[in-house]
Amino acid sequence: MKNRNVAIIGSGMSKFSSHREEVNQPEMIHEAVAAALADAQLGLDDVDCVLHGNMELFEMVHQPDMWHVIADGGWGKSGFRLTTGGTTGATLACAADNLVASGLHDVVLAIGFEKLQEGHTTGGITNMADPLWGRSLQTGALTGTGAQKVIDEFGVERARLAAMKYRTIMDEHAMRNRNAHRRLRLERQYIKETAENSPPLAGELRMIHMCSQSDGACAAIFASEDKVRQFGANPAWIVDHETVHREETMIFGSQVSTQRIAAERLFGRHAIGNPREAVDVFEMYDPSAWWGLDWLRDFLLLEGDEHLKMVENGEIALDGTFPVNPSGGVIASNPIGATALVRVVEAAMQIRGTAGEHQVSKPVRRALASGFGGTLWTVLMLLSKEKPACGGVAHE
Amino acid sequence: MSKEKQDAELIVSRQVISVPQRFSTGPVMGRFLQELRDNKRIMASKCPQCARHHVPPREVCAICHVEATGWDELKQEGTVRDFDVVYYASPDPLTGETRRAPYVICWVDLDGTQGDAPFWHLLDVDDLSKVQRGVRVRVVFADERHGTTEDILHFAIIEDSASENQ
Amino acid sequence: MANRVAICAVAQTPFSANKWDVRAQGLVWEVVREVREQTGLGFGKDAIQAAVTVSDDVFDARTISDGAITDVVGAHYGAEEKVAADGAQGVYYAAATVLSGHHDVVLLVGHCKESQSASRNMVTHLAFDPFYTRPVGLDYLCAAALQAQAYMARSDVTEDQLADVVVRARRNAAKNPVAQETRAVTREEVLASPMVADPIREAFMYPVSDGAVAMILASERRAQEITDKPVWITGLGNCYDSFFLGERDLAGNFTLERAAQRAYAMAGISMPGKTFDVVEIADQYAHQLPQYAEGLGLCDTNGGGPWLAADGPDKQNVNLSGGMLAGNPLMLGGLVRVAEAVIQLRGEAGEQQVSNARRAVAHGATGPAGQLQTVVVLEN
Repeated sequence: MKNRNVAIIGSGMSKFSSHREEVNQPEMIHEAVAAALADAQLGLDDVDCVLHGNMELFEMVHQPDMWHVIADGGWGKSGFRLTTGGTTGATLACAADNLVASGLHDVVLAIGFEKLQEGHTTGGITNMADPLWGRSLQTGALTGTGAQKVIDEFGVERARLAAMKYRTIMDEHAMRNRNAHRRLRLERQYIKETAENSPPLAGELRMIHMCSQSDGACAAIFASEDKVRQFGANPAWIVDHETVHREETMIFGSQVSTQRIAAERLFGRHAIGNPREAVDVFEMYDPSAWWGLDWLRDFLLLEGDEHLKMVENGEIALDGTFPVNPSGGVIASNPIGATALVRVVEAAMQIRGTAGEHQVSKPVRRALASGFGGTLWTVLMLLSKEKPACGGVAHE
Repeated sequence: MSKEKQDAELIVSRQVISVPQRFSTGPVMGRFLQELRDNKRIMASKCPQCARHHVPPREVCAICHVEATGWDELKQEGTVRDFDVVYYASPDPLTGETRRAPYVICWVDLDGTQGDAPFWHLLDVDDLSKVQRGVRVRVVFADERHGTTEDILHFAIIEDSASENQ
Repeated sequence: MANRVAICAVAQTPFSANKWDVRAQGLVWEVVREVREQTGLGFGKDAIQAAVTVSDDVFDARTISDGAITDVVGAHYGAEEKVAADGAQGVYYAAATVLSGHHDVVLLVGHCKESQSASRNMVTHLAFDPFYTRPVGLDYLCAAALQAQAYMARSDVTEDQLADVVVRARRNAAKNPVAQETRAVTREEVLASPMVADPIREAFMYPVSDGAVAMILASERRAQEITDKPVWITGLGNCYDSFFLGERDLAGNFTLERAAQRAYAMAGISMPGKTFDVVEIADQYAHQLPQYAEGLGLCDTNGGGPWLAADGPDKQNVNLSGGMLAGNPLMLGGLVRVAEAVIQLRGEAGEQQVSNARRAVAHGATGPAGQLQTVVVLEN
């Protein structure tokens, strides 16, 4: 039973781009922190705890929260640093939720960041492999096995088109998100040609399908119910979260995906049998169009080709019945240590009605956000507009 | 501030950072690497409860949460379960070398393996069309071995099975 | 606080300078197996529900290094979150996950092998900004040396007194079954050890160390089912100082005073100098023992010298475990302090047992010269 309620009351992001050479790491983080405080209409004095996370081996800074205290407002405050690879940002959101729910803290500022341009991205990811075995085999996050899985099940023509349709819709969303890193202006009529002309990376995974490598920081302010009231804030309530890791192999084989396990557990706790109806918008951590397409089925507890149809029929578009990644998702912007937090923040923005040009058309009562990383790990978080009954039981 | 002044002031600091490491292998991984190096044997750990293999070996069975105390030698032929044709080669983070692309990595169920324990390595192939799931492959060892991933050069397709699949 | 959280079991590997014969997975398994045996707990909804791990990608030289131990900590299709700071931060965070109501039983495990890198100073050097403090040559050792210079100048603590701190640490360590540096030394030997970073001599430094620690934390209801000797976490506090050493009062205790205040307020403690039966301070360097004793309120501000002279450490049962000077890796110092305090409060400290030990304070430090410090109050 959750001890007390927690809400996101403000958020901010730095500009995401491939080369933020005009700022150093603390300066970049400060952009997000200042924006979050402005959004929440708070000052640093209102914050009592600062959370920080990223993936150290990208920038090769040890314990970067030490240096970054000059920019994140942590001086004199409580704080923690959590790191779980690609899921870091979502883990930070879970941690903020836990810390405020615990009663130990009232207002927690969570910050995820990455400055990929300062290091070597694929090298950094390859270093997640065991140094004793596999480090010379791993190819960063590039694998065609995800695409092949979809192709095996649905045939190469249909699969390729669906993946590109997904990709194109993601770009359409990014075109309405001024903060997004890559905004390509892809057109639906050229889906087939765009895919065919895009250089293959591994198997049927092509450059066009793959996520960005971005510099960026994201900050979010989590507050207790009392503080929400005291501040007169506009809250997005954290209902619940679930973290599912896997052993150290990069292939599911015959095992169930962590996406499905996370969804089964999280929705199961809240008696949600049909997530597609119960949830209004989903910010999914989609490292590639193929995985984004494939995981829809597991996250929404669907069967057969229902997920493909959702994409083919455009239901996942901004004005669709089940918008996915109105922000443009990870394919558009991927500052890795921040990326999973951005998913939570974008979901919160949809609930709070602050997403501006990429606000979805339909009213948003419940939003879902996912993080991905490690050896196919998942972090899943459910947010709501209405305050959960204490204990986080969802309203019907 | 004028644009010229701004551009002139953007200093970038280039550094190469290296911290030499000495990784322990421990008795489990150490035995695996030793057997590769000294005897050209591929050893797997085995869970005493579910009999699942792990290759390379693990200290603990992830499913049963007990020490994987069993050891079995795996056969050196197997079936390709899945593979990746990699077109974009990134530099090895340790050596800085880049493999010639395209190259193939594969996950192989070595004969005799129990449970989900595909073995991961390169696949040497001259004709990409021969690479399919289900194809039979065998391990090719390097002549000089040091107890590393490179003690195994790659998998090679067992030629008669490749022609059967075509 | 609506909920309460207790530590139900602890396990430590023996600490040693070079555990070349075991890798992280093996180290972690040793302590996970032990706490599971102590409590009879497996993994799952009605057993250990999640893991909080403590380690660091740069020390481990591996991206997402917690990925190596997923199976060992029961997180395959389970939950694990990694705290990348001193292990006392892991205790705080793990306690929060239980107090939040999200989990009832959590496994906390930290591991670090300082021997793996050519030098731990090469690792901590990377905590400094690439433009100025790093090229100037700072690492945590140099930062501690600057702190020691400042503190000794203000406090009049002498080198002789610091040598006695080390002599005492060894004497206590010799009675601790997991301690690393147990060989007795004399004051003369300590003072003859080479100067590494003035005024820090080799013998004043925490030795290079490898090891792992595991604990099981549980909510009140579950703790009482799991053990008949729960140790309650009644106070938690931490605080960051600024980064640039020149901006900090290195001789003072800005960060520790605030961390302690927060922990003591939560635990209802107003006289720390008279309250604790057991004290465990993460003394990475000998001068930090009196300095942090001041910060914890065990003696007056600037009173570290007189405190040492009046046998304060013995009178207040400080670092009966041998402290960090006996040998713990950087990432685990505070976690070991909590573990040793728990062992005392469970009455399992053998030769070193303080009779009727009811309340303890444990401390950890992260970053250059204790930029981030953590205080944990424990009671049985």
